[in-house]
Amino acid sequence: MPTIKIKVWDLPLRAFHWLLVFTVLAAYITAELGGNLTDWHGRIGALALGLLVFRVTWGFVGSTHARFVSFFPTPRKLLTYLKGHWTANGHNPLGALSVLALLGVLTALIGTGLFANDDIGFQGPLFNLASKSLSDRLTAWHEFSFNVLLILIGLHLAAIAFYFFLKKTNLVKPMITGSKEVPKGLASQTTGGGKARFVIATTIAAIVVWLIFGGIVAEQLSPAHNIPANAAIPSW
Amino acid sequence: MKLKLALAILLSTTTLVASAGPIEDQIKTRQSAYSFMGWNSAKIKAQVADKPETYNKEQVITAANVIAAIANSGLGSLYGPGTDQGIGWKKTALKPEFFEKQDEAKKLATDFNREANEFAKVAATGSVTEIKDKFGKLSESCKSCHQSFRIREQH
Ligand code: HEC
Ligand code: HEM
Ligand code: HEM
Repeated sequence: MPTIKIKVWDLPLRAFHWLLVFTVLAAYITAELGGNLTDWHGRIGALALGLLVFRVTWGFVGSTHARFVSFFPTPRKLLTYLKGHWTANGHNPLGALSVLALLGVLTALIGTGLFANDDIGFQGPLFNLASKSLSDRLTAWHEFSFNVLLILIGLHLAAIAFYFFLKKTNLVKPMITGSKEVPKGLASQTTGGGKARFVIATTIAAIVVWLIFGGIVAEQLSPAHNIPANAAIPSW
Repeated sequence: MKLKLALAILLSTTTLVASAGPIEDQIKTRQSAYSFMGWNSAKIKAQVADKPETYNKEQVITAANVIAAIANSGLGSLYGPGTDQGIGWKKTALKPEFFEKQDEAKKLATDFNREANEFAKVAATGSVTEIKDKFGKLSESCKSCHQSFRIREQH
């Protein structure tokens, strides 16, 4: 069957993906080892937030297969896929479910991290908006959502392996190069997501990170409600 | 009938004593000690890591000495049998495994005590960078114990 090379994943989407993989790994390592690396957990957390906001924005202004509307898994699409009649490009409906689950859990993970504390002196930038007991609860949810994320990543990798070994389809290569070979009849156009939109999405992400981590949303009384922000501790 | 009533009263008072007694007190004291230590470690973190421009030598030394003193106070005696269940200021967060892994608990506690004492020395004589590095070690020792023996409650 004659094949043709088409573009599926735009460069920003691919960059997002591999940066995200790095970020999750680095966040895990810095959290697990603790000590002075916790400060890096915070910095990497800022990057994670930026990536997430970028991806959500890109889901509206990115190119064809990056858009949520193009891959949103409606029951009809799922049914078509499960019956084996799915032929379109981009995330297939089952894969789309996993993509949305991954992004959803990442949102919970990063959102709770912003309020979390480690009881020793490290806390998320929005810690001071919550009470200590609420922050403690959100910290537990932070760890819980990380465990859920691990399960989803396991499924993610298992699905990729399943495609590679059993369906003889390499999904990873398109996620690196951006393009894939499809039978001529199934070719489709990928449009949208130009430079200007990339700049807009990146700017939105940067502003959100700056508002939250720059101490604009919540004054970062460092580090806790009951700790003076300056060195003004009475001598008695 | 009278005997039964007397027995019932006796039983209910003994259970009352047990739940408001030594176990609860140990948990309360333990939670107080750790909270107070957390207040002091957070002050150090703020002054040597987050906002070095607020570094105040006297305050950091004082906080370091408080942590060392608490570490040296014999916290181990607040981990009596049964203290993995019960309510101090709030429900205890001690994992029941603590009692099965006594060797590990002892090692983590000893490591922490050593770090706390070494940290107090560095706080008194070191530069801000040295204090910050050593504080990293101390907080690792807090964290290791929390990872092994402390529950994060989701409620
Ligand atoms: C030997 C193990 C161990 C070490 C070492 C340790 N902790 Fe803890 N920590 C615990 C346990 C267990 C609890 C839960 C106590 C309870 O609820 O009964 C706890 C609870 C806490 C709490 C919450 C107290 C509360 O009730 O709200 C803080 C704050 C805390 N630790 C700070 C620290 C700091 C700071 C250090 C190091 C300087 C440290 N801990 C070292 C075991 C340890
Ligand atoms: C990629 C995203 C993230 C991942 C994978 C991640 C992962 C983790 C993990 C696994 C822990 C638990 C460590 C342990 O149990 O010892 C943790 C703790 C923590 N995280 Fe994150 N995190 C992320 C984002 C964030 C963000 C954005 C913040 C906010 C600055 C944050 C703040 C915290 C805090 C304060 C703790 C300390 C809790 C503790 O030590 O008990 N995290 N993180
Ligand atoms: C930290 C671990 C990982 C996370 C959190 C993660 C997350 C994601 C997300 C959110 C997407 C959707 C892309 C989008 O449209 O936004 C995706 C797609 C993808 N990921 Fe990952 N990923 C991880 C690790 C990996 C690894 C290690 C590989 C390669 C072996 C990989 C290969 C892929 C591929 C091939 C796709 C495209 C799937 C398709 O064709 O529909 N991922 N991943």
